[in-house]
Amino acid sequence: MATHEIFMPALSSTMTEGKIVEWLKKPGDKVERGESVLVVESDKADMDVESFNEGFLAAVLMPAGGTAPVGETIGLIVETEAEIAEAAAKAPAAPAAAAAPAPAPAAAAPVAAPPAPVAAPPTPAPAPVVAAPVVAPASTASGRVVASPRAKKLASQLGVDLGGLRGSGPHGRIQADDVLAATGQPITVPRVAEGSGPAAVAAAGGNGAAPAAPAPAGEAFGRPGESVSFNTLQGAVNRNMLASLAVPCFRVGYTITTTKLDAFYKQVKPKGVTMTALLAKAVGVVLARHPQVNAATSADGSAMSFPAAVNVAVAVAMEDGGLITPVLANADKTDIYSMARNWADLVSRARSKQLQPEEYSTGTFTLSNLGMFGVDRFDAILPPGTGAILAVAASRPTVVAGKDGSMRVANQMQVNLTCDHRTIYGAHAAAFLKDLAQLIETNPESLAL
Amino acid sequence: MCLKLDAILFEAAQPVPFLLGWEAQRSLQQRLLLDPEGPEAVLLLEHEACYTLGRGASEAFLRFDPAAPPLPLHRIDRGGEVTHHAPGQLVLYPVLNLQRHGADLHLYMRQLEQVVIDLLAGLDLQGERIAGLTGVWLEGRKVAAIGVGARRWISQHGLALNVDGDLAGFAAVVPCGLADHPVGRLADWRPELTSEGLRQPLLAALADRFGLALRPPKPQERLQGW
Repeated sequence: MATHEIFMPALSSTMTEGKIVEWLKKPGDKVERGESVLVVESDKADMDVESFNEGFLAAVLMPAGGTAPVGETIGLIVETEAEIAEAAAKAPAAPAAAAAPAPAPAAAAPVAAPPAPVAAPPTPAPAPVVAAPVVAPASTASGRVVASPRAKKLASQLGVDLGGLRGSGPHGRIQADDVLAATGQPITVPRVAEGSGPAAVAAAGGNGAAPAAPAPAGEAFGRPGESVSFNTLQGAVNRNMLASLAVPCFRVGYTITTTKLDAFYKQVKPKGVTMTALLAKAVGVVLARHPQVNAATSADGSAMSFPAAVNVAVAVAMEDGGLITPVLANADKTDIYSMARNWADLVSRARSKQLQPEEYSTGTFTLSNLGMFGVDRFDAILPPGTGAILAVAASRPTVVAGKDGSMRVANQMQVNLTCDHRTIYGAHAAAFLKDLAQLIETNPESLAL
Repeated sequence: MCLKLDAILFEAAQPVPFLLGWEAQRSLQQRLLLDPEGPEAVLLLEHEACYTLGRGASEAFLRFDPAAPPLPLHRIDRGGEVTHHAPGQLVLYPVLNLQRHGADLHLYMRQLEQVVIDLLAGLDLQGERIAGLTGVWLEGRKVAAIGVGARRWISQHGLALNVDGDLAGFAAVVPCGLADHPVGRLADWRPELTSEGLRQPLLAALADRFGLALRPPKPQERLQGW
């Protein structure tokens, strides 16, 4: 069972809210994938909003005539007719069209919380970060409690009363993280998930004025003199990494200016969008135009297989060793707001080892980001069954020389693509990187839709 | 180097009934939806006299009974309030994949305004924008109306520029819902102008602003009824 949210889209980079002109579907109506569900207006421009999923319109959270901030959930789509009633009951009552638009909840999704700079360990292990305080009331005026299915399940497992919680999700919906927070469990956010910002670690290390804190110890799975068996996950990673030795890999690097991307990230960060979601979206959009880079050599080595979808996997290190690659499915077609939410959900479930196999094994392309450690370049090992993996290093202010001899300072990051040469040739990799760089450098705003 | 984008030009020499023009736009939009990498298209025409209402438009701006309109009345899938079309008004419907043009509907409308402003500058007239009121204005009178719609960033509708037509039809409505903003036509400033004579300069301004290489349709690209 799954509930998909419909968000207020951004019709323009300057738009902060949009007006719903008309719902083309009524609650209960069947909706095809790609079918127009409603029309949003801003100034004298109309945009049809389509459903990314096939299913049924379960609830309209903002009626025609109403105004909602960009990124706000305005409707719910469910997959089967049977889920309509349940989803509708969980949905907060739609406000009257005439009512002033409610301000968007200010709480960013927990994954958007900035990582604590000093606590950063020097290895790609996730550091615990306590979630931002939640602000929105969880129950609606009617007294109904609105919670995600996973939050409900967790609450019953952990014995938490949902009625006493305040939700951090859209319309105050209680999320799994809210339940965890209520039990006093710190919600941890893997640093590996977060962004290509300049490394706070390096900055803190060089700051002589800071109070002398003990240097953080590097992560190790055993003590000196010991021999420690690989755990199951580490064993699985080992097998995958060894398999790559049978693949003829090559690597292509590119330097991308991120000044515009960084500025755009600042704009959408308050709406809960993470750098991981932005990078995955950018890669997804460009992969859709470069199907060869999304393809892989078949298991028996006899053919090139072209996947039906663009699924971007993102490598996340696990605290107890090993790593996992949760998948952002249809990264080319999913909007960045959904993507950021999906990512937060995937990561939190990855940490509690509750991912379904299809949620970590269906990637068609992988992203690995060590930017948050200030790494200036690295290369990655190709996961089996895919054709390419992109290693993303830190974005840092760099003196850039222009062709005319001018100099300026711009944020730049290095990316490095590892490819299976049986399927992807140098020219494919280069064309893909060139397009990715162009998107990030000139038009990051287009990622908003 | 910036390559020009391939765009098909459909031009109607005689005034076109509104529904025929709308139909043409929708089939061109459908083509681009099915093949987003395909050529863009531009329709240039004049409409037979009619009124159109945007999707959210209020009938309060009609000065007649909507059940018995003096001219054909159509409620259509664009933004904005009521407007009036008639011969002597050049209508431009660009069917573009806006992902190639910035993926920003507001930017798109500002670019459409700029097309008219560029055209007017060539006639030594200074077209203006009024903040918050989409369209192009000449000495306080509105000469070009703009309203757009999009699906998956494929645009339809566009701009209507009053050149030398009869403006009497505007008296029966409150154009764009703006009671205190009169409508104007270019012939009131430059009496020698005709809609016929302004077609090429308007297309040139559009092609220039959006980087289009306009060409006639190939046989397999023709539209039924055109």
